[in-house]
Amino acid sequence: MAMTRREAFKNLAKGSLPILAAGCVSTALPEVAHAEEEKVAPKGALGLLYDATKCVGCKSCMVKCSEYNELQPDTRTDGLHQAPPALNYFTKNIIKLYRTADGSDHSYFKQQCMHCIDPGCMNACMFGGLRKDEETGIVWWLGAKCVGCRYCEIACPFHIPAFQWDGFNPKIVKCELCRDHIAKGGKQPGCTEVCPTNAVIYGKREDLLKEAKSRIAANPGKYFQQKVYGEHDAGGTQVLYLSRVDFDKIGLPDVGENSIPSGLKYSHMLYKWLALPIALYAGMVAFAGKNFKEHSHHLVEDQKKTGLRPQL
Amino acid sequence: MTRWDRSVPVYGVPVITRGFWALLALIVVGLALTAVREVVGLGVTSGMSDPFAWGLWKTFNVMVLTGLGSGGFAVGIAAWVFNNKKLHSVMRVALLTSFLAYSTGLAMLGVDVGRPWNFYWVVWPFTWNLHSPLLEIAVCMSLYASIPLFLENLPPLFEYLIYEHPAWRGLAEGCEKVMSKVYPFIIGLAYILPIMHQSSLGALMVLGGNRVNTLWQTPFLPLIYVWAAAFLGYNCVVLCLLLAKLAWKRDLDASVMIELNKLTVWIVYSWTAFRFLDILVRGKILHVFTDGYYSILFWVETVLILGAAYVLSTEKAKKLSVMFQAHALCALGGMIYRFSPTTLAFHAKDGATYFPSAIEFIVSMSFVGIAVLVYLIAVKKLAILPGSNAEWLKMAKYEEQVKPGIQLTGYAPVEH
Repeated sequence: MAMTRREAFKNLAKGSLPILAAGCVSTALPEVAHAEEEKVAPKGALGLLYDATKCVGCKSCMVKCSEYNELQPDTRTDGLHQAPPALNYFTKNIIKLYRTADGSDHSYFKQQCMHCIDPGCMNACMFGGLRKDEETGIVWWLGAKCVGCRYCEIACPFHIPAFQWDGFNPKIVKCELCRDHIAKGGKQPGCTEVCPTNAVIYGKREDLLKEAKSRIAANPGKYFQQKVYGEHDAGGTQVLYLSRVDFDKIGLPDVGENSIPSGLKYSHMLYKWLALPIALYAGMVAFAGKNFKEHSHHLVEDQKKTGLRPQL
Repeated sequence: MTRWDRSVPVYGVPVITRGFWALLALIVVGLALTAVREVVGLGVTSGMSDPFAWGLWKTFNVMVLTGLGSGGFAVGIAAWVFNNKKLHSVMRVALLTSFLAYSTGLAMLGVDVGRPWNFYWVVWPFTWNLHSPLLEIAVCMSLYASIPLFLENLPPLFEYLIYEHPAWRGLAEGCEKVMSKVYPFIIGLAYILPIMHQSSLGALMVLGGNRVNTLWQTPFLPLIYVWAAAFLGYNCVVLCLLLAKLAWKRDLDASVMIELNKLTVWIVYSWTAFRFLDILVRGKILHVFTDGYYSILFWVETVLILGAAYVLSTEKAKKLSVMFQAHALCALGGMIYRFSPTTLAFHAKDGATYFPSAIEFIVSMSFVGIAVLVYLIAVKKLAILPGSNAEWLKMAKYEEQVKPGIQLTGYAPVEH
């Protein structure tokens, strides 16, 4: 099919102009996007500080977690021990072991919800089934608003939310810092209450951050990169980590300092006040209206010629 | 040389064939398995797991099939907004395929989610999380399929009533008249809504962060997704037309087919150029060669889509078998592209893998089966597929013999 260059450009424009227009606007907006405020932790943000160098891997925290959250112990591995392979809908908190192939180095590590300052899961959730407490910053699940789409599992960079894969009434299960237990008069979450070495402690995020930094200052060279994981990672988390081994080895991936939802800031610009969609709609209606009139005219003409009923 | 003047039903062939029963059997089995899934949950019935929380149902039935069902807006914009008059003749095929793809996709979404009864919140805007791409899709897709796309598909039904059921003629003609008054407002909606939710399908995986391979993950994923939907829509329309030629010996209008090919080619060229530009600007161009499996996957997509488009731009595409293969391969490439961010190029936790279970396959296919079955009935009962005025007269003669009393020619003009 031969076509001139002129025709070619015309066709290109015809095929993709409206889409291109949307794209151009989205590229032109980064300055505006900067204006969007970066999210900060709420005043009373609660969290955990887990120091992997202090953990002895006793798993008491897992047992207490099951107890306070009224979860059934996951004994599916051998029918006897509570030994879940990963976080799942029986398990909101888990202790795992990292060990090199030759056994020369090892570290225990704890996994539970990180309670992000700007959580990906919450941004993903359609009707607010996952929400962040305004005072404590605890990210919690509200079953009445959850559709069970599992988008939170896609959007969580730490792979925390677990879906109940059995039964007709599935739930999303994740650590909520024992908020129900504390509401009933508990002093602190199960895991921090029983930890024999204080490897995991509970408190306000700002206090925990100070504590973590003082530990780094007191033990130069002890901690990996002299860094508190979670201070800035993924836009900051309320659960903080200290480790001697590489964070990546203990389930804390390098996710950068931008929060997960910030990836969508350009897209949100396009929808601001629905201005762009409405403008595009108006433009298309105007063109379509003009062309429709012309088309209807042709239909009537055709009918006069053929005697056949016009089709819309 | 045939000229497509109007839509003409497929006539002289039975609706109930062996294929009909086969599809029906598939649908019954699929729906039975759906019932099982609702009772026992997703764990036993699907291959999905916590690391791989999305499977075939979302990626294939929603992302891929609504991509293929994008003809309604992709061809529509060219026809109505850019006044490409040749394309009016194929609009009904595009609209019907779109409606079937969207409605079965949405139904599939209801099967895939774990707590579908909570979906009623969609009617209560105060609970909407406006930051969620999935919310945008849920609202926008349901709105699109149930209002503008549904309305756009009504005229063939009105005509059916006018010809076949004289008692309804007055009402149907009245509805037609109202429709022709507000039509531009309906079709405007029918174009803006898909542009919004087809791009949001891409925005979904932006939240996947660095678990989506860098060749696919970009802030421009929404734009690339909606653009891919555009050529997939053209592929689907052309394939339907060619299959109609194969199945029922429907004549083709060469000038319209050439136009469709041209537009497909240019959408694909611009899509590919933008994709490479995006990768280049993000400084990831070397990943195109150095990322092992992901590089190969990238080239499989690119070669299928771009290669097919190149073939379509040559004289060879005048041969129908070549045209068919080119569109089929282009669609395949586009479908693979839509599978990549969620599945093929998705790094799951601890290297977990996903393969759909047999039940997932059967249920997925049965929902496609519903769409195919309805399509086959619709093109035989309604004026969907394009044909010439001569074809219509032949059809009228045949039908008037079979069903005495029916009159398909010589109508008083309708005011527009």
